[in-house]
Amino acid sequence: MPDYAELVGRRFPAGTYTLPEYVCWLWLDAAQLPPAYEAHPGLAHVVATYGMGVSVQEIVAMMGATVEDGVAFGEFGVEYHESLRAGATYECDAEVLEVERKRGRRSGIFDRLSFRVTIRERGSEAPVAVCTNAWIFPRGGR
Amino acid sequence: MTAADGLHAGRRVTPFSIESVDPARIKTVAAILQDPTPMHLDPAANRARGMGGALSTQGALNMTWFVETAVRFAGGVDRLVSFKVRFLANVFAGERFECTGTITAIDGDAARAELELVATADGRPVLGGTAVIKTG
Repeated sequence: MPDYAELVGRRFPAGTYTLPEYVCWLWLDAAQLPPAYEAHPGLAHVVATYGMGVSVQEIVAMMGATVEDGVAFGEFGVEYHESLRAGATYECDAEVLEVERKRGRRSGIFDRLSFRVTIRERGSEAPVAVCTNAWIFPRGGR
Repeated sequence: MTAADGLHAGRRVTPFSIESVDPARIKTVAAILQDPTPMHLDPAANRARGMGGALSTQGALNMTWFVETAVRFAGGVDRLVSFKVRFLANVFAGERFECTGTITAIDGDAARAELELVATADGRPVLGGTAVIKTG
């Protein structure tokens, strides 16, 4: 079974994402929250997902898995330097930080992929938010 | 005045809850994220995996509720400095989600408070983590 360690340091193709006002509203509605904010901080995940230049499916495929394999979030964190704004265009760059192979008593063998996405408003050097992700890829076996 | 006034280590974070997770909203999140993972869309997929017949929420949705707990306690989105959440278990449609916690540290010089937060779904632990909020 490949260990995917060669992915550490790989940079994803940088991309941009404009956070639509309707997505800001829809995210609150989907989360069963009142329309109290211009852009909920949780939308950093949406901006990072669309702005990092690769799709969820491409990351899953990069790890030799499919969406039917039970790929799951392990951890997610964000450092905010500014609040997100509806209608703003963000530039994102992302890189793989770590790939670890682990074995759980109940879960069996799994790989933990960590990557960081830095979000900047277009034309600015200063980050708006820095997201750190860890995804879990079950590999079967005990 | 905000809920964050009168902060001290050990103070309980005001609980935030969703009384019943709506399956239709899970599908909306799947559409926003363009996430085709079957457990968010097809109850049969979860039944086949021995996870019951309810749709599972996305981690991004659970994370949003986790963040909401900190934002409400802090008194606004501009008062959230950072957070880190661990995903411990799935949340399913129809379950009651609740997130609460305690203040673990106050940094008076930096005007920050650190929160330790835990979330449950129908009483099962589903999320754990920390958040840092502004106090000044």
